[in-house]
Order: sequence, then structure tokens, then C-alpha cells
Amino acid sequence: MSRRRPLLLIAPAAGLIFFFVMLPYINVLVMSLRMPGADGKPYGPGFGMEAYAQFFAENYYLSALPHTLWLGIVTTAVCLVLGYPLALHIATASRRWRGLLYGIVLSPLLVGIVIRSYGWTILLGNTGVINKTLKDLGIITRPLKLMYNDFGVVLALAHVFLPFMVLPLLASLQGIDPAIGQAARSLGASRLTVFRRVTFPVSMPGVQSGCILVFVLAISSYVTPALIGGMRVKTTTILVVDALIDQFLWPFGSAMALVLAVSAGLIVIAFAMLTRMKWK
Amino acid sequence: MRLAEALLALFRVLVYIFLLAPIAVVVLASFNAGNFLTFPPQGLSLRWFVTFLQNDVFMDAIVYSAVLAALATAVSLVIGTMAALYYVRHAGKEAETVRVLLLLPLILPEILTAIALLFFFYEIGIGLEHKIALFTGHVLMTLPFVFLNVTTSLQGRDEACELAARSLGASRMTAFRRITLPLIAPGLATGGVFAFIISFDTFGISFILKGTGSAPLPIQLYDYLRFNFTPEAAAVSTVSIVFTLVAVVAADRLFGRKA
Repeated sequence: MSRRRPLLLIAPAAGLIFFFVMLPYINVLVMSLRMPGADGKPYGPGFGMEAYAQFFAENYYLSALPHTLWLGIVTTAVCLVLGYPLALHIATASRRWRGLLYGIVLSPLLVGIVIRSYGWTILLGNTGVINKTLKDLGIITRPLKLMYNDFGVVLALAHVFLPFMVLPLLASLQGIDPAIGQAARSLGASRLTVFRRVTFPVSMPGVQSGCILVFVLAISSYVTPALIGGMRVKTTTILVVDALIDQFLWPFGSAMALVLAVSAGLIVIAFAMLTRMKWK
Repeated sequence: MRLAEALLALFRVLVYIFLLAPIAVVVLASFNAGNFLTFPPQGLSLRWFVTFLQNDVFMDAIVYSAVLAALATAVSLVIGTMAALYYVRHAGKEAETVRVLLLLPLILPEILTAIALLFFFYEIGIGLEHKIALFTGHVLMTLPFVFLNVTTSLQGRDEACELAARSLGASRMTAFRRITLPLIAPGLATGGVFAFIISFDTFGISFILKGTGSAPLPIQLYDYLRFNFTPEAAAVSTVSIVFTLVAVVAADRLFGRKA
């Protein structure tokens, strides 16, 4: 159809994204190259690599980076292990059940991240539901340390981001023709073989996008590690927010955020290359 | 093999419980009669809901969040629907670029987008005054959801009806109002509900860009939870959850069945 393109339709959205997403992100890059400010100013005149040099020189900040990435990787693995059976179940469930199960998986998304993290503090705290129950049953005498550590943070993060793993998995699993599995079974393949040779390879795009989504969301989350980890689990994202909001160190905070983004990007690329080499 | 399947089924049930437990526990805790969050609850009571209703900070926050979400949703609905129309009907070769651009706020980490906006608004001299930055952030966060939902409902529709109306003398506007709009109503409703919920619940953008004065509900709740452990926060959360559920069910009843 050769008609005049109504560019006015796209202009407001394109303008919004250009001015309030793309320009601000470029500005963060520029900010990270500015000099530290003095007298309460967020940054000073001139450009340089000061902010990056400071980040790599101070162990307090540098050591949080691998820890943050590690938390992200573990959270992603937990989500995959918990989410795959769920996605498989929903994909093969009858119509009546599918709606309900789908609703359960999506339900965390309808509840704010602050409330969900709060729910975990009620469950995991020293006098929380789990410790109280175990104590009343006489299984433990002293409360288990479930919160204010990596364990609690990973558990809560996995809960918060599980829907983002299940949804792409479900999308890729629903595309599989059940006849393929049946054919393999009738030719003598065991259920496990069908899963290993047919189902899992076909669902690989879902695994990939689910993992990447959860990983990126997990390393850049703030509320959950802050509430569940207390001040004891420090992630780069928490340090970035502290540096920018509390300490007013704009170039330094920007540099730290960008180092995190680039490291995460490298891990994502490595993951994509690894999974593609194996499965294609 | 039987055992393996039984174990797998058990595992699935546990995961479903894992998904629902933290939310259920918050709702249960809000009916606790005691002063602290204890389990099992020390009797049932609505006292924390009464406390919440008398707490101006939370009441202000819930109203503030609702107004902010409604305004952001309204703007997103207009801009997002226009973009969806362009994407489905007119984008041609640029379709993929348009889609990625519109989904950028969803793909990029929210907290980083918030920080980028903070700098940007200071650099252009507005800062966090008049809540312009906060509002812009909320529109950005909600835009992808409107775009996705309207796009889905548009893709199933043939353009023929509108072309027919146009050839019979209807203006572009009339054709849109009388033909396209009713067809994409379910997409608008779902997109609008999603947008409202996202704005109502979003944390990163509000946390960084809130400025001084009133703050959205998730921020007030977060501030409260850092130092307090009474079930009042649970009552606030329960009200927020019910609020969301009502919105979802209402949209489903009104538009879901027709789609």
C-alpha cells in the first residue's frame, strides 16, 4: 500500500523515547567521564577517567561487583529449575486448569515488589513464620539465619522474577507439536530421552530469553536486596544508588553503573554464545 | 518411574506454594490482633485497617499513587495507541526498530533509567520540581504495556472495515472513532489496567524521582518497613492487593469475554 506515512502517529512516542530514554542514557555515559565535584556540587568541570580509576582502586566497591553478578547467576539458575517444571505443566494442562495455573504464575506480578519483599521478611525473619514453626515443632532451638544473607536475597529474588522465566518458557513450549513427542515415544524413546532430545532443545529460545531477562532484572534490583539483605548484603546496584542519592557522587555512581552494565552484557553474550554452540 | 512422577508433581505443588506464600502471609498478617507480626496471629482483628485509615501518610500516598497512575495511564493510552497504529499499519520496513524503541523502557533496568532521568532533568534545569520528572518516568514505564496490548488487538484486525468506511465518506477521525476504537477496546482495557498497576506498584522510578513532599505508596511503604514491624504495613499491602485485583477482575468482566 503506497500511501503517505502518518508520521504524526509515531512522533509523540518516538520523541518521548528519544528525549527521555536515549539522551539521558548518553548523558550517563558523559557523566561518568566528568571530574568529581567539590563544595556539594555533584560534578566538577572538565573530563577524565577519575571515576573509573576510583572504582577499580577501592576494594569496598570493586568487591561488590563479582558478588552481585554471582547473586544474579544463582537467582537465574534457581528460577530455571523452579520454572521449567511449571511451564511444562501449564503447557500440557487441560484448558480448565491452564487458566488457574497461569493466574498463579502471574499473580506475583500484580503485587508490588515492596509488598512481595515484605512478605518474605515475614516468612524468613528470626521470629518469622518458618523459624517460629520449626521452633514450636521442636526441630530447632535457635532461629535459622534465613534473612540478612545471600540465601534470603536469592530466595526472594527468585520469587520476584520467576514469572519472567515461566512466561518465555511457556511461549516456546506451547509451540511444540505433541505429535513429535508421541512419535519419539512410539519409536521406543523413554520419557527422559524425549525430554532431553526433543522437548528441551526445542524450548531453548525460551530458556535463553528467560535466563537473560531474569539475570538482568536480578542484578539491577534494589528493593529486594535492600529489604531482605538489610545492610549486610551489598550489591553494586545498592552502592550505585547510595553514591548518587546519599553521597551526591554523580560521575562515580555513573561509572559504577556502567561497569555493572558492561559486565552483565559480557555475561549475557557469553551465555548466548555458549548455549548456541551447544544446541544448534 | 511412578516415584519420579510423584516427586515431580510434589515439586510443582511446592513451587506453586512458593509463589503464593509471601502474598498470602501478608494478607493473613493484616488481620493480626497483636502489636507485632507474630504467627500464628494473636486473634483476628481489623484494628490495623483502622490504624491505616487514620494514618494520613498512607492515605495521602494511596490517593497520590492512584492519581499519578491514572494520569500516566491516560497519557500512555493516547501515545501508545498512536504508536501501535503506526507500527501495525504503516511502519513497513522500520517495524522492528519501532518495536524495539517502544519496548526500551521495559528492557532497560528501571533503576538505571530512573538515574538517567534524574541527571537529565537536573541538566536541563528542571530538576525534580513540580513532579515533571516523576510523571515522565511513570509514562515511560507504562508505555510498553499499552503498546504491546493494543498492538496484539490490532494485529488480529483487518484494515478493510476502516477503508470501507473511508471510501463511504467518513473522515479519518470518524473512521477511527466508529470502527477502529471499538475493535481495539479489549486491548485498550487490558493495556490500561496493566499500565495502571505498573505505575501503582513501580518502585525504582518513584524512589529516585519522587522529589520533596508527597510520595507514592510503594515509597512510603518502603520507608515505613525499614524501621517498623507492626502489621499496619500488612493492612496497607492488603488494601493495595485488593485494589489491584478489583481492577483486573473488572477489566476482565467488562472486556475480556468479548475479546
